[in-house]
Amino acid sequence: MAIDEKFRELINADIDGEIQADEKAELEVFLAESEAGRALQEEIRELCATLDAEDLLDSPQHLRHVVMNSLSNPKPAAEPPGFFESLFAVPAMRYAATFAAGVVMTVAIVDSGQIQRGAFNDVTGLVGTISDADDMAPGIDSMVIHKSDVAGTVTLRNADPILIIDFDLSTKGPVDIVATFDDKTVWFNGFAQLESTGTNVSAGDGQIKVQVEGKRRYAVYLHNSESHNLLINIEFLSNGEAVHEAILEYQQD
Amino acid sequence: MNEPDDTTLMEQCIKGNRQAFETLLVRYEKPVYNAAYRMLHSRDDARDVTQTVFLKVYENLDRYDPEYRFFSWIYRIALNESVNVLKKSNRLEPLNTEPESQTRGPEQQASSDEMSEGVQIALMAIKSDYRSVIVLKHYLGCSYSEISEILEVPEKTVKSRLYSARQLLKEQLDRNGTN
Repeated sequence: MAIDEKFRELINADIDGEIQADEKAELEVFLAESEAGRALQEEIRELCATLDAEDLLDSPQHLRHVVMNSLSNPKPAAEPPGFFESLFAVPAMRYAATFAAGVVMTVAIVDSGQIQRGAFNDVTGLVGTISDADDMAPGIDSMVIHKSDVAGTVTLRNADPILIIDFDLSTKGPVDIVATFDDKTVWFNGFAQLESTGTNVSAGDGQIKVQVEGKRRYAVYLHNSESHNLLINIEFLSNGEAVHEAILEYQQD
Repeated sequence: MNEPDDTTLMEQCIKGNRQAFETLLVRYEKPVYNAAYRMLHSRDDARDVTQTVFLKVYENLDRYDPEYRFFSWIYRIALNESVNVLKKSNRLEPLNTEPESQTRGPEQQASSDEMSEGVQIALMAIKSDYRSVIVLKHYLGCSYSEISEILEVPEKTVKSRLYSARQLLKEQLDRNGTN
């Protein structure tokens, strides 16, 4: 026997706990007299129990990380800056200010010419520590990686004359990152990391190698004094095999 | 200590507080991801939609209408983004997905994973409008009034759509031998 539309909806509303007292009384009278109604009620109840028993899936491990790193930068403060604020308003200085003393010294050493461009292959000892700060040089290009071995973001930031490659990654095991570029006037100018130590970094003309393991935040500085347009090829290697490759591009405005 | 409510967090986000946004992200990434997955039946697409949803929320913070509850706004964006993915991939119309096998043994049928997959296949075989109400009601635990606010349709429409959706889903499960 066909069931009136009204009672079909009332059966659903009752199972969902969304029925009014007067509707409930009316439904009970109907169900007492209708076998088809009771059968329908049982069917819907079973279906709802099946659906409600389903577990929610866990969201992907790196999703939160990727979203937070894809957000645009906050707006600058509106008040006129004081002396130190003016100093740190220069993008390179502002970015440098987010790094602890170790890396600032690294940049200073390289700038002062005590280390010649391309003259060092192992700069592990020169690493500093990134402090957590929101205010960063603007991102000009970025890539998102979603591989089983490595996931996260790499953002290229411009703090003229410094280009910063900002790695925010999680890996299963050790992953080698090789950043290469053709322009020989651009040189490695420093390295920093957040809440980690003992990272292997090596640099030579047109190439920088960094090893990542676990959840890591790194920044690699490149000195681009002539503001040349630049293509930086970034390759991720796991057990010697390339798992991802992409290019970050800097173009002069 | 009590966590701040969504409205408070949104006010902080609008003032530029990224930590507040991250708290909202932590609170809603799982339901948004699950809504997208149930709409799309693809973990990769669900992940992409979830990312897009949160980036859209962040980019449109100034357009948030506090008259509405935050979750209704974000769930609406999630469903709309999912439907956009279906449109782009010409999957807006139900898929004629057949079950993997009609002759599975009782042990296999008892597997909850298979049951779950069977439910998902049946869900994909009903129209996205119907799928949306099932997702909101059963996977996100929304009430009729909340579904009404999210989908911007009268509560009466929610009731009738949910009833029809369940009927169609039940028929599909019977047809696939899942139920």
